[in-house]
Amino acid sequence: MSFLFGGNNRSAEGSVDPAKIEMAVAELDMITDVFNRLVTSCHTKCISQNPQNHRYVEGDLLKGESVCIDRCTAKFFEVNKKVGERMSAMGNAAQATGSFGR
Amino acid sequence: MDFSQFNGAEQAHMTKVIEKKQMQDFMKLYSGLVERCFNACAQDFTSKALTTNETTCVQNCTDKFLKHSERVGARFAEHNAGESSL
Repeated sequence: MSFLFGGNNRSAEGSVDPAKIEMAVAELDMITDVFNRLVTSCHTKCISQNPQNHRYVEGDLLKGESVCIDRCTAKFFEVNKKVGERMSAMGNAAQATGSFGR
Repeated sequence: MDFSQFNGAEQAHMTKVIEKKQMQDFMKLYSGLVERCFNACAQDFTSKALTTNETTCVQNCTDKFLKHSERVGARFAEHNAGESSL
């Protein structure tokens, strides 16, 4: 997910390159969005749906919940990677055949 | 994210942008949490005041969500650190 801003042209100390800023902001937005979705999804899967939390009897994370959260985040990143691979494969296939869709 | 290619002015600008986003993010977190804990805990409408159980429920709900968010953040940071060392 990290985006290395290449190029060794360091502009003058005072000038702001709007294109670079825009890309950095876009990357920041994307990362924040992924994080927020991850928090929401894993909360739904590991905490809200846990029958023991029907009325939130406890303020600390239960052992099962902690384990669930670790696994949930790992799976989320795996899914992220697989979806990315699939989409780039589809993109390549579409370019090869010159058309989109199945 | 790699900020080493940014000059002084750009870094200052990004710092301001990040600060503003963090503020907005915090407000969203707060209102999201209120809705979440309300939906989960407020069940008894025979009175306007929160019952003791409901109050405890809300406190636990908030604590648990924040701890959850903290743990997810830790795993997220680990994952990103792992990725950038590839």
